[in-house]
Amino acid sequence: MNKKRAVRWTVCFVFLTIITAVFFVLELVIGSARLSFGDVLGALSGSGDNAAVTIVRDIRLPRALAAALLGGALSVSGFLLQNFFNNPIAGPYVLGISSGAKLTVAISMTLTMKYGILLNSAEMVGAAFVGSMISMGAILLLSGKVRNMAQLIIAGVMIGYICSALTELAVTFADDANIVNLHNWSMGSFSGINTDDVKVIALIVLPVAAAAFVLSKPMGAYQLGESYAKNMGVNIRGFRILLILLSSILSACVTAFAGPVSFVGIAVPHLMKSSFGTAKPIIVIPASFIGGAAFCLICDLIARMLFSPVEISISTVTAVFGAPVVIAAMLSRRDQKGSM
Amino acid sequence: MRVIRLLSLVTTVSLLFVTGCEKKKDVAEYDTAGSMELKYAEQFSVDYCENGCSVVDINGDKFLIVPEGVFVPDDTSGMAVIKQPVDNIYVAATSTMDLFDGIGKLDKVTMTSTNAESWSLPVIKEAVDSGDIEYIGKYSSPDYETLIAEECGLALESTMIYHCPKVKEQIESFGIPVMVDRSSYETHPLGRMEWIKLYGLLTGDYDSAEKIFNDKTKAFEELSISDIPDSERKTAAFFYITSNGYVSIRKPGDYVSKMIELAGGKYIFTAEQLNVEDNALSTMNIQTETFYELAHDADYLIYNSTVDGEIDSIEQLIAKNSILADFKAVKSGNVWCTGQNMFQQTTGAADMICDLNAVFMDESESGELTFLHKLN
Amino acid sequence: MSGTILSSKGLSVGYGKKVVVTGLEFEVCKGEILTIIGPNGAGKSTILKTIAAQLPLVSGSIDLTGKNISEIDAHDIAKTLSVCFTERITAEKMTCEDLVSTGRYPYTGRLGILSDNDKEIVRKSMELTGIAHLCDTEIRCISDGQRQAVMVARAIAQQPQVLILDEPTSFLDINNKLKLLSILKELARSRDIAVVQTLHELDLAQRFSDKILCIKDGKADRIGCPEEIFSGDYVSELYGIENGNFLPMFGTAEANKITGEPKVFVIGGGGRGIDTYRRLQRQGIPFAAGIIHENDAEYPVAKCLAAELVTEKAFEPISDINIQKALALIKKCDKVICCIENFGTMNMGNKSLLELSRNNKEVIE
Repeated sequence: MNKKRAVRWTVCFVFLTIITAVFFVLELVIGSARLSFGDVLGALSGSGDNAAVTIVRDIRLPRALAAALLGGALSVSGFLLQNFFNNPIAGPYVLGISSGAKLTVAISMTLTMKYGILLNSAEMVGAAFVGSMISMGAILLLSGKVRNMAQLIIAGVMIGYICSALTELAVTFADDANIVNLHNWSMGSFSGINTDDVKVIALIVLPVAAAAFVLSKPMGAYQLGESYAKNMGVNIRGFRILLILLSSILSACVTAFAGPVSFVGIAVPHLMKSSFGTAKPIIVIPASFIGGAAFCLICDLIARMLFSPVEISISTVTAVFGAPVVIAAMLSRRDQKGSM
Repeated sequence: MRVIRLLSLVTTVSLLFVTGCEKKKDVAEYDTAGSMELKYAEQFSVDYCENGCSVVDINGDKFLIVPEGVFVPDDTSGMAVIKQPVDNIYVAATSTMDLFDGIGKLDKVTMTSTNAESWSLPVIKEAVDSGDIEYIGKYSSPDYETLIAEECGLALESTMIYHCPKVKEQIESFGIPVMVDRSSYETHPLGRMEWIKLYGLLTGDYDSAEKIFNDKTKAFEELSISDIPDSERKTAAFFYITSNGYVSIRKPGDYVSKMIELAGGKYIFTAEQLNVEDNALSTMNIQTETFYELAHDADYLIYNSTVDGEIDSIEQLIAKNSILADFKAVKSGNVWCTGQNMFQQTTGAADMICDLNAVFMDESESGELTFLHKLN
Repeated sequence: MSGTILSSKGLSVGYGKKVVVTGLEFEVCKGEILTIIGPNGAGKSTILKTIAAQLPLVSGSIDLTGKNISEIDAHDIAKTLSVCFTERITAEKMTCEDLVSTGRYPYTGRLGILSDNDKEIVRKSMELTGIAHLCDTEIRCISDGQRQAVMVARAIAQQPQVLILDEPTSFLDINNKLKLLSILKELARSRDIAVVQTLHELDLAQRFSDKILCIKDGKADRIGCPEEIFSGDYVSELYGIENGNFLPMFGTAEANKITGEPKVFVIGGGGRGIDTYRRLQRQGIPFAAGIIHENDAEYPVAKCLAAELVTEKAFEPISDINIQKALALIKKCDKVICCIENFGTMNMGNKSLLELSRNNKEVIE
């Protein structure tokens, strides 16, 4: 009995890793500049046409790495929240994190332009990050006072609405160009991520995801409900804070560098749970990370190449793939409940 | 404990923020041997150096133009180096394109951020259609791979690029200099056109550019309008209706209002009336009732069609907002509409002023001018 | 029965400032089963949650293994005390084995991976509660009874010294109720585990508990062994029973008697009249019964249900006085039902009643 599960898990992991590797390579090989596989290999090691080396090393490689890392971050973030709220359709943006980021980005875009201050990209990233963290701080404060999960979700949604309203206020004073820009930003994109960005992303995402993995045991206990988790020695208050913190940092990182990318956080964990046939965090967390990486790599490839040279925003593609998964998840959950 | 964690996070991020701010680098200094003579332009300046190079200063961004055959100086800190001949230029500013066409250097441009349908100037539209100029995506997400593969020598961006600093940095990181065309910030309409001299210099033919500029402005300089007293000038408003019902007007003091003044008219809005903020934007949204209050007595209305398309009849105008029927200019039939090419055809700035002059002096019988047509 | 493992002094429990029950003083020894009973809303669950260190206590103290519970590390509490509450587990894709395995968490390492020993304990716990065959079945697909067994297995796998259960038998059928309580009894006996539980089934509480704690009106009313508690009218008062009668001997209840002039006289004895009494009660017919010896099995039932009852002292043959009393009642009634087939020395009087009745009353035998 255990053997069967072990086999299934191994097969799934191997399959996932292969898919991720394949699409990673495809991201490197496919692009608007035609390069053969050999060219790409050469470019990676630094030999060959200068342009090819720049394209592969400075454009495609950072982008592929970013898509993989950020996709993984989003999925893990989503799973953490689903565990926290005991709701399989909770997502990383349900707590209003992306709305907070959008607000600070909107403010930076409109106000600074007005006064002629020029922002560089690090500052835009910083602005998005700060916005996410402020939303997160608000949620953390509330989670201490609020006993009920449903109330916390509502609080998060309200924070999201407040941020959106303030964003609209900022936008009223903006001209059309700014509005378009903000809209474009809020649809998400992996374009323009360079090697330095990837280093920062890796520095944030990898340790935090590892920390989430270490939390597998209390998360497994938490799946039984708070009373049982408490009985098994889990410090509920600390655990809740840690979950929110880790989840928020991951999604803040994604929002800061790529804008809000929707559906990945909800769809991928669900797909992983279905494929692996379990909800044990110790399996689902690494699976979600790899699955999320694969998902984003695939979506990014499509976003880039479908209407080349025009790039579709990544959220459009993830929505097309992710929404059916989420709908299927909702339906199956209803079925299961109904059959009892 | 979690308060400390939160604090440290916020501090780290704020530090990131702050250190990213402008660091004034030490700029190399060269001996200058004169500078470019500019009659109207204020947003850029060019100093000629002893060694044959030119230093272009656009709002603090410095570029060193090094002619063919001249050695690049050892110290070029604080400047982006542009080696001539400059080829495979990427133009992401629509007004710039016309200037290149004006000096006959459109062949130097191979990439653009506006697709064929959005160009109204036939020559440029054709070039993009035929593939001579390749569309490589919007200014906010250009195809970097093509920029590199085509060995882009210079990226000319519009001020919109300030909203996406990442794109500018990314292009610069590939060794492609990025020059921002700030002509839209020029307060004098002809200052906008004077950028043609800069592009002439860049493409190695300053003299032709200067000559073209002088020819174009001759007609304007011959207009005798300075002696018309203020009280006798005809008033005009320049506007369009936005998608959510506001009226977008040019700010009093910007180059469109200046063009109207130079053409012998009077821009109906003044800065005091509108409580205008002194900032870098050139348009502002006002409510319909403010527009009515201030402009219903204007002698002329000029509708800006570049945003949502040209209109031909007064009915179409009233359809956009029925209050317009009460305006004096509408009742007297003095409503004109700009052609879509007004902003794209930068070289026509002087002609545009002459057109406006014809409107105000009531000298047009056919109602069809180069850039304006009367609504019927 | 070894030493005290759980005790409380002057304990008050409640939520925040709101006190629900005060004055709790009890001791539970190893291997002892303490059952808490009381009306709905008395605060039984609150007490359990407080003992299980899930709710902070309002005042007083609780001692676990001799130490004040607030001084014990949560991790150590986890190894000493396990719980089985009424909340429904909604975890998705969790098999029964997964669920029972969570009981081992206080003993596993950082990532919660079970050792062979842990797996063995899990297996044994599942066998003990009879659900070993449900190893790979998802918990959403099993019946309530099976689920309860799984939860108990989980609590057992945690190898506690104290087991706390909130209404563990509520959703079970009679067979499973008995099964579960027997398992608990066995655990208490063989592993010296102390069990603290709440039950609504008074008859089972009476039979399976070593001590019973009664909660009423926000305080601990009485604590004692079943014999002490289930005596006299105490339980009736505790629950404020109005719509029936509680029979402390058996821990069961009978419906209220139908009052009024008796229409039927039932000749009963030896327990054979019980069915008839109940049937008449269901039909709403007031009846008289006699002559029942006070040590007869049906005496308590007759006392509850009969409008009029003629009794005889234990072990005495039926006296003439009583026969006369009975005849007087029979006169008032319309018919007589005789439930006895065989008459012996002690109840020969009833035979007379029967024969006399045959003369002028309708008799059903």
